[in-house]
Amino acid sequence: MSELTRPLDLLTGRADELFREQQENTYRDTDRLFARLMFLQWIAAVVAAVVITPFTWDGEARAVHIHVWAAIFLGGAITVFPIWMTRVWPGAAITRHVIAVAQMLMSALFISLSGGRIETHFHVFGSLVILSFYRDWRILISATLVVGLDHFVRGIYWPYSVYGVLGASPWRSIEHAGWVAFEDIFLVISCLRSIREMRFIANRTAAVEASERDFREIFELAPIGVVVVDLDYRFVRVNSAYCQITGYSAEELAMRRSLDITVSDDVGATEEMSRKLHNEPSPYYFEKRYVRKNSEICWVGCTVSLIRGQDNKPLYILGMVEDISERKKTQSELTLAKEEADRANRAKSEFLSRMSHELRTPLNAILGFGQLLERYKLDEKQKSCLDHIKKAGRHLLDLINEVLDISRIEADRLKLSLEPVSVTDALREGLDLVRPLAAEHGITLVGPIGANADSHVLADRQRLKQVLLNLLTNGVKYTPTGGEVCVSYETNDSGIRIKISDTGIGIPREKMSRVFTPFDRLGAEQSGIEGNGLGLALCQRLVRAMQGTIGVESVPQRGSTFWVHLSAADSPLKILSQKQNVTVDKAPSLFTEARTVLYIEDNFSNLMLVEELLKGEQNVELLTAMQGRIGLDLARKHAPDLILLDLHLPDLPGWDVLNQLQANDATRHIPVVVVSADATRQQIDRLTAGGARGYLTKPINVTEFLGVLSSSMNGEVVNHSAAA
Amino acid sequence: MRVRSRHFKTALFGLVWLLAIASGVRVLLSYENTPGRVGNVPNHWPADSGIDRATDRSTLVMLVHSQCPCTRASVAELAKIMARVHGKVRAYVLVSKPHDRSAEWVDTAVWKAASAIPDVSVLVDVDGEESRRFGAETSGHTIVFDSTGRLIFVGGITESRGHEGDNTGENAIVSLLGDQNAAVPRSTSIFGCSFGNQQKKDKLCPN
Repeated sequence: MSELTRPLDLLTGRADELFREQQENTYRDTDRLFARLMFLQWIAAVVAAVVITPFTWDGEARAVHIHVWAAIFLGGAITVFPIWMTRVWPGAAITRHVIAVAQMLMSALFISLSGGRIETHFHVFGSLVILSFYRDWRILISATLVVGLDHFVRGIYWPYSVYGVLGASPWRSIEHAGWVAFEDIFLVISCLRSIREMRFIANRTAAVEASERDFREIFELAPIGVVVVDLDYRFVRVNSAYCQITGYSAEELAMRRSLDITVSDDVGATEEMSRKLHNEPSPYYFEKRYVRKNSEICWVGCTVSLIRGQDNKPLYILGMVEDISERKKTQSELTLAKEEADRANRAKSEFLSRMSHELRTPLNAILGFGQLLERYKLDEKQKSCLDHIKKAGRHLLDLINEVLDISRIEADRLKLSLEPVSVTDALREGLDLVRPLAAEHGITLVGPIGANADSHVLADRQRLKQVLLNLLTNGVKYTPTGGEVCVSYETNDSGIRIKISDTGIGIPREKMSRVFTPFDRLGAEQSGIEGNGLGLALCQRLVRAMQGTIGVESVPQRGSTFWVHLSAADSPLKILSQKQNVTVDKAPSLFTEARTVLYIEDNFSNLMLVEELLKGEQNVELLTAMQGRIGLDLARKHAPDLILLDLHLPDLPGWDVLNQLQANDATRHIPVVVVSADATRQQIDRLTAGGARGYLTKPINVTEFLGVLSSSMNGEVVNHSAAA
Repeated sequence: MRVRSRHFKTALFGLVWLLAIASGVRVLLSYENTPGRVGNVPNHWPADSGIDRATDRSTLVMLVHSQCPCTRASVAELAKIMARVHGKVRAYVLVSKPHDRSAEWVDTAVWKAASAIPDVSVLVDVDGEESRRFGAETSGHTIVFDSTGRLIFVGGITESRGHEGDNTGENAIVSLLGDQNAAVPRSTSIFGCSFGNQQKKDKLCPN
């Protein structure tokens, strides 16, 4: 409860209590002060009388002076009662008033014993000041009344004894009393001011107490352990939750250090935490283990901060300690479960991979012999049966390929080569591939529509084409005859968004969340439209693997728009001109003799780049192939001086192309330089061991490219390629 | 019950306390205001006095007991008189001393205070011979004779025992030294220790 919300009467009540307590203490302390003072005054009076007027004389005979007796007995009488009162009624108002009266009587005695010396009148003023120590202005009235009465009576009967004159008017008494009252006024003001200060202090103390009580309650009732240790890790303060965590009582902890109950392996981490706290701003979180009193080990999460003194000097470490043993146990179980699940998943992928391979082999025979049968004369019924066989075979092959891809992705075994890919090229190729199907369904293809024809995304060219083809095929398949599939792309700050919109049947809102679920065709299986339900699931995984996102917006009966968002990339040519500032036209010629270079690459931009690089080489003829098989044919036919080989080709993996080149006597001697975006050491070693003369990573470094080109064609082994 | 008893005790003690203080004050006041005895004071300067009387002005004689603490106030008042009359009187302070006492008997605060007053001659009065001649029974006894030796004032110059301050004797002396016909008291009470002359008389004449 904060001070603002605490009931005011509670706070005031406590403040009153504190004020009364303080007042009572002041009264009692001052009572004791006066008890001692009065006793000393008594002794002083006796000593003074003995020294100044020890005897009275009658000739040579002497007797003790009456002043001595007066000091002893009258002084004693004045003193004894107030002292007794301080014992019997300490702090009582009557005691203060008796003391005030007695003190003034003592003044009168001193004046009398001194023979009315004016100097002893100062005892009156001094006594009033000391009486104000009570901070009770009312006792000044009692004291002043005694003084006034004394002056009044003496003024009438023995004026010389108080005023030093034979006759005094009543005004003289008033004047004397006036001086006393004059002092009283300031003493009363002082008393009232002191009382106000006491009240103020009581209010502040009550507020501080309340705040401290709140803090103690929060500290004590906090559901997590709270601990304060000094810089030597000695416990200073702990709450009950902390005691519960450690199993030790607060008293037991007070005799230990935090490190004493820390598992020895974690002591270093604790000390490291302390060091960090001195250098880094608080708070700091770390986890460690405690040894409980019953020797059990428990994990705790500690959020610690440094408490500094006014001079910014570190004083204590404050820790919020939470028992995380259960969480740790759950975490450990989860990790085990995840590892188990991963193992199971890998086993599943392995199984799928093997099964796919095992299925492909007989499927190859089915499709191969199916195609062979087409060459024979078949009647219509046989042709129809053969079509069914081929169609089912192709469907099964697609299914196997897609299952295989998905399992590769999930097993993290899918190899991607991320490089700048021209969006318009990829879209055009996709549209070209789907055009026959669109024509068959009576669907109009529109696009690609985009502001910048030179837009590039960072993607694996083959996989991007696979995704686009899948989406375009879906658009065509699910759009009624006469409909339209439109392809567009737009650039924004975070990348490029490719959109494939159709005017098809659309997807109901309730089914949208299942669009990318494998084998879920959202009820299309009833429509007779071919499909296996894996296409979109595969697209999603491929796009994610290329660090992109995929999504869909749809209005039933009006159509759907699938979009793919990928990071934008600069075209290779642009990179070349920006980063390397090489003027290819002016580069000196490397070769004096005629050379032929074959570049097997499916990315048109890369092909253009190499063409551009070799434009200045008059003696170099560049052959290009956008597929692996075509590349092999060209290699066999032209026996080039150098083959530049991309690894991700649409028909054959680059690795297979390399193997076939190495396997063929006609091409084995031709140096092959791999040009790939995959720059892993494992891949480079594998290809180098497989016969590659060199390895260049994309984006191409022109100097290195030309150097490797020259070295390779001069018969040097360039296995210390740029990537290596 | 105990509280009530305590209240009662307190009230009783308080009452006794007030009575005791009142009684004490009364005794003290009574002592301070009770004058000493006065002997047979001669109307003329005693012929057998060993002190040289002035003939051109008045002569003041104060007889004091060297040990009397109250007499310090009388000597202080004499100093004020001497300051006020400016040489109109020859003054003597006679300090009594038994013949068998050493000189230290008179070497007291009274002697020193008297010696410090200008134009005052301080003399030792062995065995109180002069005291008896001047009829002095009480320390502080002050007598004034005119230039012809006629007594013009006798009494004390403090208003109570050992109490300095304005007093009738001082005022009378000052007035008489200015105008011997002044309408002022010619005698006042004397407050101080006894010279013991009465004791000696009693010893000599027990009856």
